[in-house]
Amino acid sequence: MRAATPSTPARRGTLHAGAWALWLLAAASALAVTRNPIYLALVLAWVAVVWQAAKAVPGLMDAERAVPLSPLRFGLFVVVVSAIFNGLMVHIGDIVLLRLPESWPLIGGAITLEALVYGALNGLVLTGLYAAFLLVNQVMPIREMVRLAPRAYYAVAIVISIAVAFVPTTLRQYRQIREAQAVRGRRVQGLRSWLPLALPLLTGGIERALQLAEAMTARGFAGTSTPGHDGWTQAGLVAGLALAAGGLLLRLVWGAGTLGLIVAVAGAVWVAGRRHPQTVYRPAPWRAQEWLVAAGAAWTAAFFLLPLPGLERSSLFFYPYPRLTLPGFSLWIGVSTWGLLAPALLLLRQALITRDA
Amino acid sequence: MIQFEHVSFTYPNAARPALSDISLELPEGELILVIGPSGAGKSTLLRCINGLAPHFSGGVLAGNIRVGEFNPVQATPQVMSRHVGFVFQDPEAQFVMDRVEDEIAFALENAAIAPDEMRVRVEETLDLLDLTPLRDRPLSTLSGGERQRVAIAAVLALRPRILVLDEPTSQLDPKSAEDVLTALVRLNMDLGLTILVAEHRLERVLPYVDQILYLPADGSAPLLDEPRAVLAQIDLAPPLVRLGKALGWQPLPLTIKEGLRFSRRQGKNGQGGNGKMGSGRPSAVTPNEGAPFVAAHNLHAAYGGEEVLHGVSLEVHPQEIVALMGRNGSGKTTLLKCLVGLVRPAQGEVRVGGRSIAGREVADICRELAYLPQDPNSLLFAETVHEELAITLQNHGLMAKRRGEPLPEYATDLLDTLGMARHATSYPRDLSAGERQRAALAAVTVTQPRALLLDEPTRGLDYAAKHQLADLLKGWRAAGMAIVVVTHDVELAAEIADRVVLMSQGEIIAQGEPAQVLGASPLFAPQVAKLFPDSGWLTVEDALQAA
Repeated sequence: MRAATPSTPARRGTLHAGAWALWLLAAASALAVTRNPIYLALVLAWVAVVWQAAKAVPGLMDAERAVPLSPLRFGLFVVVVSAIFNGLMVHIGDIVLLRLPESWPLIGGAITLEALVYGALNGLVLTGLYAAFLLVNQVMPIREMVRLAPRAYYAVAIVISIAVAFVPTTLRQYRQIREAQAVRGRRVQGLRSWLPLALPLLTGGIERALQLAEAMTARGFAGTSTPGHDGWTQAGLVAGLALAAGGLLLRLVWGAGTLGLIVAVAGAVWVAGRRHPQTVYRPAPWRAQEWLVAAGAAWTAAFFLLPLPGLERSSLFFYPYPRLTLPGFSLWIGVSTWGLLAPALLLLRQALITRDA
Repeated sequence: MIQFEHVSFTYPNAARPALSDISLELPEGELILVIGPSGAGKSTLLRCINGLAPHFSGGVLAGNIRVGEFNPVQATPQVMSRHVGFVFQDPEAQFVMDRVEDEIAFALENAAIAPDEMRVRVEETLDLLDLTPLRDRPLSTLSGGERQRVAIAAVLALRPRILVLDEPTSQLDPKSAEDVLTALVRLNMDLGLTILVAEHRLERVLPYVDQILYLPADGSAPLLDEPRAVLAQIDLAPPLVRLGKALGWQPLPLTIKEGLRFSRRQGKNGQGGNGKMGSGRPSAVTPNEGAPFVAAHNLHAAYGGEEVLHGVSLEVHPQEIVALMGRNGSGKTTLLKCLVGLVRPAQGEVRVGGRSIAGREVADICRELAYLPQDPNSLLFAETVHEELAITLQNHGLMAKRRGEPLPEYATDLLDTLGMARHATSYPRDLSAGERQRAALAAVTVTQPRALLLDEPTRGLDYAAKHQLADLLKGWRAAGMAIVVVTHDVELAAEIADRVVLMSQGEIIAQGEPAQVLGASPLFAPQVAKLFPDSGWLTVEDALQAA
């Protein structure tokens, strides 16, 4: 009934942001440690299960927060590209599939099955990381993320939250501008024709940043600061927001993801002018279910990271070179990945409760 | 409550002051409407009340301001935020968080209010503005009116005694605007909040306003008095008031109910008759003769995964203005986008100038069928208005791509027609809302198209700018252009349209002469039609001509 409107109970039932962070940490470290395709497949599968469980809870996944690229499509692309790239560049391995002429720079030489496999495994790791991060990003409201930030970085966290909240608006503006330029007879040709798109987006972004800075001033942000420093706070706020907007723009228009992120973060740090006392509205409780998720995460991470006595860890470090072999498998490590399933259980329970309600 | 004593304010690098020698005293607990032509300093005056001017904007302030026991200049906006709530024009640009409840709590957290107290305040604020059902919604899923209500709630949570709003409805459609204004009226009535609101849409608020503050553009002394007294002295007025003034109705009516007492007594009902409608309208030539310039046949189209048009057919002839009206989400904008090829219909055909647009590029279609999107800002990016025109011409290959190339004569003539010749070298984004829109209009029509589509062109315009736009469109119609206007503005439709097309849920539900379609509908009837039902009159001019 209430699927269209994320209701309060659904939200109250969501996990504490800290629990999600621990889960993410465990999944990411498991993915980072091993190249064993069996373990990778298990971790990927559990991430997918948690994803589906989250989707079953009405109103949890923000439909509005745009998924840049579905993990499935990302995975296909990355696995294939990474396998081909590694195959062309690395000429080690016993099972030779074909030989390119040695005279070809870089790619010339034997193309081996081992290199292809290793490339594909790296692609799997990237896919897993992407899916896990995207999932947490989807289920956690921005303010929860802000809360995770230590008090001292409250201002930074606020700015990041603003930058994230800017995304849907910026995307919508981008579409509007693209249409507006099309009706003025613009045809896409070369880099120069991007200028009419980038300029209004940038000016619009800065205008909005200024308006927001003004609105925040009017609402008493930096309420207890000494009057003498107001100019600095305000300049910092504007500059930071402008940088954040610029960073976003870089990501959107030129796809320069890393650079954009750096600029956005630099903008955020710039604003970290001063701390001031603040209180928290509705502090999220840490309940039994958070303990369960934390325990699951710890369980998984322990088997992947710690040299536990009596545990045969060699199967973790699967390496296809010089000759591809079947990967080993330790039952303990396989079972330990189940720890990552804890959020799925809780989410499914919540889905059932919400459905009944 | 609020006192200005000889206040002057000059922005940094500005040639002349935005406010000069203003003295006034605003009483406590009243709903005060701030009006005046654009550029008269309304925004600046409001920003003086919480210290944003000069603290945020910079600039020089002379004179003395007192708000309650504070001097906002000494107290700084941070301190004033507890006493004066300030709401801005664009609801999107004032949010920090992404959910309703969090947004309302933000200012409280920042002010270090204790969690228990905070819980209570958030709840009561949600109730005050009817936001409880929306409390967990992401802000990006809300309509404009809902967002603006959240913005009001967010500043009210600090329990200010004064609420200041700078054109809070100029970005909203009429329904949303009404929601926001109704909420304000209630806050004023129930809580006794002092509310100052700068607003273009006088019709809706006039009945509830205690005082009007009028700021003239020429810098002379502002008027502050009860609504009838102020309206009698100024030109800025809704049709009802203009008609009342012209016919000498005393006391001046502010609501249709009051106006009806006069119109009934004058016994004008039924005298006008439909036959008169054509007189003021040059293109009352039977529009169906000759070939339509734009013709859509049985369009089905989807936008964002949902089918929004179900078999729409529309023909627009040269020398005709068609007003396309209907609720939000009824498919009006999508229909326009289909006509220029921005949205490709799943089924059906669009012909422009007798040729099908299937397979043609948008750029190609727009050369003969200009389209002005809702937000003129998305169009403008060049350094000068002049350059905006040049870029469009260059895009179409109608002008050499060289710096400093002079515009062809027809382009400079267009700037003249639009009254933009003196702004040719201005930076487009620095212009007023009306001028910016005309700059955007120039940028899309410089190719001398034979048809023009406009999406919500009167949003954010004051009465003067609206009149200019109406005159311009009438001129172009006389010159043979086919024009489609998507609008919520019934007064504009009444003034310029030859035909009104009503849409609902992706279908055309009614179309015909404005007098029939608008006059008959309680929702869309212009004020004059409500005053003189069955007369066929729609505008003040219609009524005065017949009188």
